[in-house]
Amino acid sequence: MSAGTVARVVTIVTGLWLMAAPVILAYGRPASASDRSVGPLAVSMGLIALWQATRGVRWVGLLLGAWAIAAPWLLGFGGAALASGTGAGIALIGCAFLRGEIEQRYGGGWRAIGAKGREADDS
Amino acid sequence: MSRVALGAMREVPPGWSYNPSEWSQRLPVVGLALVGFAIAGYLALFQLGGFARVWEPFFGDGSRRVLTSGISRVLPIPDAAVGALGYLADAVTGVIGGRNRWRTMPWMVVVFGVAVGPLGAVSVLLVILQPVVLDAWCTLCLASAVVSVLMIGPAMDEVMGSLQHLARARARGMSLWRAILGAA
Repeated sequence: MSAGTVARVVTIVTGLWLMAAPVILAYGRPASASDRSVGPLAVSMGLIALWQATRGVRWVGLLLGAWAIAAPWLLGFGGAALASGTGAGIALIGCAFLRGEIEQRYGGGWRAIGAKGREADDS
Repeated sequence: MSRVALGAMREVPPGWSYNPSEWSQRLPVVGLALVGFAIAGYLALFQLGGFARVWEPFFGDGSRRVLTSGISRVLPIPDAAVGALGYLADAVTGVIGGRNRWRTMPWMVVVFGVAVGPLGAVSVLLVILQPVVLDAWCTLCLASAVVSVLMIGPAMDEVMGSLQHLARARARGMSLWRAILGAA
């Protein structure tokens, strides 16, 4: 498995962990509501970023990770939920930076759409 | 180089290493859409009163609670029926057009992308609402959400190819309208 795929799989597993953690570690609201919101978003982002054409979606992990780390302080919870959320947040942020190999070529990618459009506007 | 080889090369967008409109690229997405249609169709039949019980292997009466919740009845027809129609739209817009439709039928590719993207987004929103608002999980609803999100990545490369084609056409001074209808 390539490094890019590993990072996406770790993101997906982290999201699944956040969805299951409230039951496994026995904690309730507000921590459970926060984790069960971030979890599905992380799983989705990981699944979408598995493909090279949509690998850029991985950067959403920065937002999700930042929320997972900040939530205990903003919503006021601690204990196991804090430890779990902090660990998950670090994993999500770390994975966002791991792009991995892009073996396919996409003729300039998503950026080419805006750039070519602007050129036409300028002319 | 033979004329056949030149013709085949033209089907790969400029600067690309493969053709995103190739059947091998599109049929897996269409297959996923049909799986999603089957799951959502089954759930919709339960919501419409077709059967008294719904299959739920893990979460007790979670599926029943999710599928009969207020959220599921926000629209005039049950939410799973909306999902089933969405999957059907994905499958139909995924299969129409030839293997170079990224340039011959950009409008169909754009409609395909618009059908796949929001369906996935709404599925994820519903996955969040299940435990956060209803305190329940629904196995087949989760399966349907995974299917809809899995379609996004492999569908969007073709959308990218078509949008690049439209951007090039505009840069050449062609009207966007003519380009999106597939005038070369």
